[in-house]
Parts: sequence; structure tokens; C-alpha cells
Amino acid sequence: MRRLLRMDLTQLVFTAVLSFLAAFMLLPIVFIFMQAFKPLSELFLYPPRFYVMNPTLDNFSQLLMSVDASVVPAVRYLFNSVFTSVVTVAVVVVVSTMVAYALSKHNFIGKSTILNMTIMALMFAPQAVIIPRYIIVQRLGIIDTYFAHVLPLVAAPVSVFLFKQFVDQVPDDLLAAARIDGASEWHILFRLIYPICRPALSTIALLTFQSAWNTMEPSIYYIENEAMRTLPFFLGTLTSGLANNVAGQGAAAAAGLLMFLPNLIFFLVMQNRVIQTMAYSGIK
Amino acid sequence: MKLKLSLAAKRSLEGLGFVTPWLIGFLIFMAFPLGYSLYMSFTEVQVTATSINFTFVSWDNYVHAFLGDNVFPVQLANFVKESLISVPIIVIFSLLVGLLINEDVWGRGVFRAIFFLPVIFSTSQVITTLFDLGAGGGSFIQRFNVFSMLINALPPSLNEPISAVLSRFTLVLWSSGVQILLVLAALKTIGSNVYEAAAIDGAGRWEAFWKITLPALRPFIVLITVYTIVELSVSPFNQMLGLINSHMFSVRTGMGYAAALGWIYFALILVALVIVYTVGMRKVQRY
Repeated sequence: MRRLLRMDLTQLVFTAVLSFLAAFMLLPIVFIFMQAFKPLSELFLYPPRFYVMNPTLDNFSQLLMSVDASVVPAVRYLFNSVFTSVVTVAVVVVVSTMVAYALSKHNFIGKSTILNMTIMALMFAPQAVIIPRYIIVQRLGIIDTYFAHVLPLVAAPVSVFLFKQFVDQVPDDLLAAARIDGASEWHILFRLIYPICRPALSTIALLTFQSAWNTMEPSIYYIENEAMRTLPFFLGTLTSGLANNVAGQGAAAAAGLLMFLPNLIFFLVMQNRVIQTMAYSGIK
Repeated sequence: MKLKLSLAAKRSLEGLGFVTPWLIGFLIFMAFPLGYSLYMSFTEVQVTATSINFTFVSWDNYVHAFLGDNVFPVQLANFVKESLISVPIIVIFSLLVGLLINEDVWGRGVFRAIFFLPVIFSTSQVITTLFDLGAGGGSFIQRFNVFSMLINALPPSLNEPISAVLSRFTLVLWSSGVQILLVLAALKTIGSNVYEAAAIDGAGRWEAFWKITLPALRPFIVLITVYTIVELSVSPFNQMLGLINSHMFSVRTGMGYAAALGWIYFALILVALVIVYTVGMRKVQRY
């Protein structure tokens, strides 16, 4: 009985500590929401206040007004963003799972070289390769096309790396049994590996979506036609223009919330699966 | 025998086939640009309206980075100091949280989700925007004057990096999403029978932690440290990347110089990783 009581006490302490830390982790998210609904007077309050006192939708209507004033309709940016993100996620998932499967379950020449190359690529500062990438995109003649949004993101080392860890867990005997039963390699990948590694699939889909949705690199460097640019770029230019004057701060905060929401929604939809993957299938 | 050989060859060809699409993309958009930037780092790049001209300058860019530039070495030193503080904080924090979540606390699933949440912002524009808006915890921390007293008591050389880390305290903690999950995954690899055996031998929870959990976690701590260093070095609010970026389109220095800075930075991170890896793994073997 006493032991049970003590267990509960430690549990209580642990829960309290975790709650405190979790609150700390959640603060910035709450802050984004608060900020977006603050009237101008509260945004510039000194000392700054965390909570919003008189929530208002003014920031959003102001944002809508400046959106209306732009040359290209905002819906076009939204379409570009959704379209390129969805295509990127689909292509990246298929391509990187193919590599991960091959690297994990096949032996071929240059396998270790490819593995080492992905590790090196993970570390390199992305900024330093922008110019050569631009030259390549230009030579390929895909400037101002949707290809420029998708292709540079396809060779993602992170998702290959992650997915390979999970394919490693799939027993070889299972694959051998499938081969004996006459399954083709594609069959094995789509009918066996995908269902088994479904949580891992969600994980790389989530990670790819968030990088594809948020990236501004193609819009800045490879796209000259305004109508081909994406929503984050549009909101980014809008906010940097707005944030320079005092009245624009509210709209900037509202735009920040709008940029952030798709990430949050996608996360909430996927999170249960993702976390189970990472936590339960182990690295060893 | 003949069948076996051809089977192996077939398997190998299939493997190559699966790798090909990715490999082409990788060579075009990763490997070639990397090689190109290495070449650029030894040249002076001039962009005119019609063409891009390269003039070979051998090691000039690298020499200039350390001897002629008065911003780069200072920033590099600051980056190193800041990382030396942030990396242990992140690693220890994620260990702590991972261990706590692994205990039977109430609302485990919710905690796991909350601590994993930061992962979705890790490379995003949102986090930089947030930082500009001042959500980095700055105003929050400034309310506790303890920190400023602490900072004032330190020598000026340490003062700056520590206050930089404190001013984005939340963001530092925000970088630990994946690390916490790695800790959780690592804890799953230790069988419960080990703890039972230890308990039978009379070890308390405290002893079990130091003698069993920590040694077993060591390779994962190395992995987490490596991951953290990589994550910090390519994070969007990293000042080094901003510096490299600003040189890229500067008329005076240009892309050649930016590429050289990029490679110096890359080399530094690589050295750091090799040190972490060798030191960490050697300790493991001693056990």
C-alpha cells in the first residue's frame, strides 16, 4: 500500500514537470494565435502582454484587403502551393521508398557509396548550392514551370535515410516467401513494404509536406512569372512589406497564423501514426 | 551454382533499377551542385547580364575569409560558442523529457505529441517569422531578472553567446522534437528483464539509471548529438547561413567567396561530427 502511494507521488512529480515543460513548448503556438487576433493598440503595448484582451478580426480583414490589391489573385498562389506540395509529396514518397528498399534489401555495386553520399548531403549548408542549382534549372529549361518547384526537392536525403531504418526491420524471410510465391519487386514494395511501414510512410509524407509547403527557394530563385509563385512566398513578401510600417504589423501576424495553420492541421491528422513509428520500431 | 549467380545478378540489377530515378535527381540537384560550388570556391565569379564568368584565383577566397574578412571569423567563433552551449542543452533536455515520458505518467500520448510538435516547424519559414515577432521567449525570460544577473556576472566573451542562447530559449527547446523520440526509441531497446535482475540484486532506481540506462543509451546519445549538430547548422535562423547568403549576391565578394565560406563551414561541422563520434564511441567500448 505504501509502495503504491509512493509510486503515485513520483508519477505526480513527473507529470507536473512534464506539464510545465509542455506548457513552455506550447507557448509560441499560443502566441501566434494571440498575436493574430490582437488589435493594433495591444500589439504595441509596453510592456508586451501575452494574452489578447479585446480579440478582433481587423488583422484578417486588413490582410484580405492587401491580398485583393495584388496583381495575381490569391487563389492562384494557393493553387500553386497545394498542387506543387501534393505532387512533391507523392513523387518524393515513391522515389525515396524505392531507394530505401533497394539500399536495405538489395546488394549492388556502389551501394555504400550512395549511402555515404546521402549522409554527406544531409550536412551540407543548402545555401551554398543555390547558384549551381539555379544554373542547372536554367539549363534544363524548366524556369517558370511546375517542374522547378518539384524536381529540386525530389532527391531528399532525409526521407531516404528515415525510411531505410524502417525497411531494415522487415524480415528478409517474408520477402523471400513473397518472391517464391511469384511476387514481382514492385509487388513487394507496394503490397508488402508499404503496408508494413505505413507509419513510416506517414512520417516521411509529413516531413516532405512541411518542407514542400514552406519552401520559398523555387519561388525566389527559379520562378520569374508571378503567377507561378507559391503562397508562402506571396505571404512572405506581403508581410515583409507590411511589417515595415506600424499599421501592417497586425496583418503580418495574421499572415503568420495563416502560413502556420496548414502545418498544424497536417500534423494533427498524421501525428498519432508518426509518433508510433518513431517511438516503437526502435533504431537497433 | 549458375542459377545462384544469375539470381544474385538479377537482384543487383533490380536494386540498381530502384535506385536510378533518385540517383539521377541526386546527381543533378545535389552532387553536381556540390562539386560545382567547390570549383566556384576557387574562383572569382562575375555575373553579367549575359553570362557568368569564372576567374581562377586558387586559395585566395579561403585566405581572405580568415585574414581579410573582419566579420566571418568573428561570426564563426560566435557560432562555435553558441553551439557549444546549445547542443548540450538540447541533448540533456531531450534525455530528461524522454526519460520522464517513458515513466508511467498520466497523459503520456498527449505529452509525446506536444514534444514532437516542434518537428513540423524545424525547417520552416514560420519559425523565422516567429522569431522576428519575438516569440523566441525573449520577453518571457526578461521577466526573470535572475538571468540578467547571471549574465552580468560572467566574463564578456561568454556573456554574448549565453545571452544569445537564453534569448531564444524556447527555440532551443523547440529543436528537440526528433531527439526526444530517438531517446524513447532507445529506451525501448533496453529489456525490462535487465531492470528486474538489477532489482533482485538490490539496486534502486537511482543505481539502475546510472549503471544500466545511461551506459545503454550512450550510442544513442552520440547519435542525438550528431543529429543536433546537423540540425543546428542548417536551421533557418542560423546566422552563418545568413552571412553566406549575403555574400552570394554582394557585388564586392560574390558567389565564389560565398562558396568558399560554405565549404569552410561544412568542413568545420564535419570535424565536429568526427570528434563527437570518435570520442563518444570510444567511451562505449570501454564499458
